[in-house]
Amino acid sequence: MKNKQTAKMSKFLIISVLSVCAGILAWWIVTDVLELFRSNVLPSPVKVMQTFMKKWVETKPDGATLLQHLFASLKVALGGYLIGAAIGIPLGIFMAWNDKIDMLVRPVFDLVRTIPGVAWTSVMVTLVGIGYMSKALVIFISAMVAMVINSYSGIKQTKTVHLWVGQTFGASNWELLTKVAIPSALPMIFTGLDVALGSAWTTLVAAELLASTRGLGFMIQQARGIFRLDIVIVGMVVIAITGAILSTIIRKIGNKIVKGGRLG
Amino acid sequence: MRAFEKNKRLILGAVGIFVFLCIWYIATKSTTLGKVMPDPVTVFGGFFTAFVEPIGTKTMTMHILISLRRMLVPYAIGGFTGVLIGILMGWYKVADAIFMPYIQMLRPIPPIAWIPLSIIWFGFDEGSKYFLIFLACFFTIALTTYNGVHSVDETLVRASRMLGANDRQLFMTIVLPTTVPYIFSGLQVALGSAWATIVAAEMIRSSEGVGWLIVRGQDIGNMTQIMIGIVAIALTGLLITTLMRVLENKLCAWTVRGK
Repeated sequence: MKNKQTAKMSKFLIISVLSVCAGILAWWIVTDVLELFRSNVLPSPVKVMQTFMKKWVETKPDGATLLQHLFASLKVALGGYLIGAAIGIPLGIFMAWNDKIDMLVRPVFDLVRTIPGVAWTSVMVTLVGIGYMSKALVIFISAMVAMVINSYSGIKQTKTVHLWVGQTFGASNWELLTKVAIPSALPMIFTGLDVALGSAWTTLVAAELLASTRGLGFMIQQARGIFRLDIVIVGMVVIAITGAILSTIIRKIGNKIVKGGRLG
Repeated sequence: MRAFEKNKRLILGAVGIFVFLCIWYIATKSTTLGKVMPDPVTVFGGFFTAFVEPIGTKTMTMHILISLRRMLVPYAIGGFTGVLIGILMGWYKVADAIFMPYIQMLRPIPPIAWIPLSIIWFGFDEGSKYFLIFLACFFTIALTTYNGVHSVDETLVRASRMLGANDRQLFMTIVLPTTVPYIFSGLQVALGSAWATIVAAEMIRSSEGVGWLIVRGQDIGNMTQIMIGIVAIALTGLLITTLMRVLENKLCAWTVRGK
């Protein structure tokens, strides 16, 4: 039975691999073999691979290597993200724990959170100019909003029975918060960290497309201007892979720290 | 007692918003922030006069409607194909094996990162924006639908098979009711990200719409117009997500009651 199942699994795995190979082959055929598309409309997979290899050392045409762009982006994204998390998590917990504050702040927060992170770019650029600060602030806002929402609902989902048990045994309000509510909210907080990372990374790309002098978003925007689509695709791939790696790291840390539960 | 609690929430909420506006007003009037930041009265006044006095060539109503149209057409297409592919992948293992690797590879790319490519493929017109919104919706909806189909209780499927249900009956009475709540949560998430994406796309290239309002304000150094644009984006975003939630509560009454 088990053998049969693994045989079935590997059959579908083969179909998956074939499917991807067929896709890449079709891409290669329409570009390199049949030449239906010129490289400034759809570059061939071979060209994209070559550019990917070359771009690590070459600074042409946008003035920096792939690694420099990647570090510039990471510096901005992680800076804004970490501050956003450092403020967003306690704020969400505080809002959820204190009913009066909740009722006062919640409507304001609900209004602010409907504004997409990108929309803040114009405000920040006008306030502090194009540069590290404006982008980091935009990312800070979008990461913080996601953090507040998730840690807030994490605390709100604490089982009332658990709180009652705590109260019966004479726990103080502070003990209830730190010993019962926060541990049970941890999975949600880590989901928030993951979501916030995603939105920080997306917002960063948008901010770099709009106003920047370095970074992955800047690189693909510049390459688009001179019809170097191979660089555009390389940039998109690097953006996707970096985002996926960062999210995996967060989830790994989460699984280590969260006890007795698993992350969805 | 309950009515009082509800009123208390409403009153405190109103007080919260009022205090927020007051802080904003005082901060702009009494500090140097006022040099770059307009006060709330100017912003909201400007927002409402924009409904009668055009900004650029169009009034606020038109800007909002244009952005909404740009968003809703590809949202509908993306939603439809997403649900279709999601159900196919959930039900047929072969479809899962064929499509899943592509979805897993393309999904981590933020929709906004497609902007340069879409401009070259579809030009500066509506085409590129439709493409972006489609991408922003499709993956989310396909994956949530897929998860929905997978959450169908295997016992129910086997029981109904044993009682002689055909594929169509099985789909309509068991698979669909389980999947619809998942589809709706996908639609809800996708709506938010579609709205954020259309704003970004309009900020990068357009000549009207709410995203254009902000970026135009930035170009001419008009902070009031930027803030008016942000108010328009926030209120429209709030409106469409609320409508969607009302629709979900109406259409999926059985899951709401179950909660």
